[in-house]
Amino acid sequence: MIFRRALPTCLSIGVLLAGCGDRQSVLNPKGGDAHQFAQLSWLLFAGGTAILFVVMLATYLAIHGPDRFRALLGSERMVVWAGVAFPVVTLTALLGYGVWLTRAVALTAADPDALHISVSGEQWWWRITYRPANESVVAANEIRIPAGRTIVFTLTSPDVIHSFWVPNLGGKVDMIPGRTTRLRLRADAPGVFRGQCAEYCGGPHALMAFEVVALPPSDFDAWLESQAKPASEPESVEAHRGRDLFLAAGCGGCHAVRGTAAAGTVGPDLTHLGSRRSVGLDTLAMTEANIKRFIEDGQHIKPGNRMPPFRIFPAADLDAIAAYLAGLR
Amino acid sequence: MANVGLGRVGKVLTWIVAGGAGLLLAAFLLAWSGLYNVAASRGHWAIVEWLLAFGMRNSVELRAMAINPPPLDDPDLIALGAGHFHGGCAFCHGAPGISVSPIAQHMLPPPPHLPTSMRPWTDAELFWIVKHGIKYTGMPGWAALERDDEVWAVVAFLRQIQKTHPERYRELALGSVRLPGQTGKELATVDSNQEAAGACARCHGAESKGPVSALVPVLHGQPREFLAKALKEYAESTRRSGVMQPMAAELDRQEIARLADYYARLPAPRPEKIAGNASLIDRGRKLAVEGDTANGIPSCNPCHSGNALPEYPRLSGQSARYMAGQLALWRAGHHAATGGGAIMAPIAQRLSDEDIAAVTGYFASLRAKPTGEKPQ
Repeated sequence: MIFRRALPTCLSIGVLLAGCGDRQSVLNPKGGDAHQFAQLSWLLFAGGTAILFVVMLATYLAIHGPDRFRALLGSERMVVWAGVAFPVVTLTALLGYGVWLTRAVALTAADPDALHISVSGEQWWWRITYRPANESVVAANEIRIPAGRTIVFTLTSPDVIHSFWVPNLGGKVDMIPGRTTRLRLRADAPGVFRGQCAEYCGGPHALMAFEVVALPPSDFDAWLESQAKPASEPESVEAHRGRDLFLAAGCGGCHAVRGTAAAGTVGPDLTHLGSRRSVGLDTLAMTEANIKRFIEDGQHIKPGNRMPPFRIFPAADLDAIAAYLAGLR
Repeated sequence: MANVGLGRVGKVLTWIVAGGAGLLLAAFLLAWSGLYNVAASRGHWAIVEWLLAFGMRNSVELRAMAINPPPLDDPDLIALGAGHFHGGCAFCHGAPGISVSPIAQHMLPPPPHLPTSMRPWTDAELFWIVKHGIKYTGMPGWAALERDDEVWAVVAFLRQIQKTHPERYRELALGSVRLPGQTGKELATVDSNQEAAGACARCHGAESKGPVSALVPVLHGQPREFLAKALKEYAESTRRSGVMQPMAAELDRQEIARLADYYARLPAPRPEKIAGNASLIDRGRKLAVEGDTANGIPSCNPCHSGNALPEYPRLSGQSARYMAGQLALWRAGHHAATGGGAIMAPIAQRLSDEDIAAVTGYFASLRAKPTGEKPQ
């Protein structure tokens, strides 16, 4: 009976796993230490499977096997060699191999060419600060990096413990209030990877995701230059009206739009919101309709997030605000 | 033959059940026949009246046991209570110098004239009665059950009602309203009565005079859109207040617009004396101007001063006690059904007691600026 159930169960789990994209997977390494982690993971899976197979075989023989095997399996020598010596040797070897394989993570040789990015994990979003040439450029929830270059992330948290993890690019590191932790990552080639807060941090923790977009170095430089600029002027009459409404409705109490009176630091900087790929931390695509949804009904999209619902706008006003925000490229 | 073997006890039980069923049937037949007289003019039999009053006293006593009254000898609380009492209670219960309306006198039971004949209820019992009302009498429950703060104001006034001189009562309940003597023709034909005409000013003041109590907001100089929206929300019961809902429900759209327009044009009265010390007010200013990023508190000014949306209230010169009371309601989870309330509730919940004292003290210390004027 058990064996008959096992096959379909394994098959369906396999099908489900196949559904996991490769944007957020340890088994799809795309740079730096991730290759070593993937290698180590495969070794662990293979070794673990082999040992499990041997144990199952021994169990079967201990129950149904000839007396000779049963006596051998029941002997004291078996317990000493297979139960004590084997695990000690195997695990010691594995530990040594693991340390040797990931030695680059432990070594903190200064890389003069590295790009430094600060990320602050906050309930429940990511505050990202770039520092090109002594000025700081603040963004949120989407990290763009140049492919092929080492990135040193400085990780902090002002509230509770979060954990910063981009499985395709490397290991995860906790963000601990009152401490600064560091993580080095590198993407071999351009691509989009998904990161996730990997330490339960309350309420919408599960939706505290982000994207890492690796760009060709020249594209990255151009992007960073554009991000450093203040917000663009609204282009249409509607967007103009949207900006006035955005400011009058008090959005600037929490959000900053550089170049306007909005200078709040409680929530994400919106100076270049329209250039991001998503609304509400990778939960919705960047469209005007989704911006409107988040303003009015963000509590249903990301339950527990700290932005109050703004259900005070007539439809035309909300359209204007969304047009303004989507135009902040 | 069903009770064979049950013995004496069984027989007695059977008789009791049968007797009960018979009584129920008789009561049903009496109600069905229409022979019972429901006339209020007939009164109750003395025994029935005694039993009902006895039951009421015990019920109120039991339910009031767990209620802890706040200090009630508070002039602001008493003035607010008097203002509501005049509009909401005096018709049935009279007031110092005012007798019970002859219509109310003929209710069953007749409501007591409270200045002269109030039972010696405790504070907690009075609170329970004002909040929940009493079944089988005309006494209604409070229109907004979550507003205990308002109920306590009425209780505070009731504690004073027996020793309040009629002249003092007029001062307390009518505040600054001084209606000119109307001519016979006006009395006979004008389409609004005196009660409604003076209702706002009784508590909120009018012309150059501010509110009668620090628990009542200053309306002078608020944006007309905000005032109209607040009245509309009270009328629709989305914003909850046992004092304001009944008032707003009587106003039609044009009246709301005219009232909002009137108060929006009034210059702000002089702000109350600054309650907090200078360092507290400084802290309040910091919250109002910069907010507190570490605790997720946005600055107040983008919404509450200068060129913010006219649907938002302006806070400069507002009463500190009133603002603290509203913030307390949001913190307790009430008051969030309106668009503006839903925005303020999560923010208020991030404020500490000290934050509230600081920020309300700061705004109270500012003189209200006319709307449309640039901030700083």
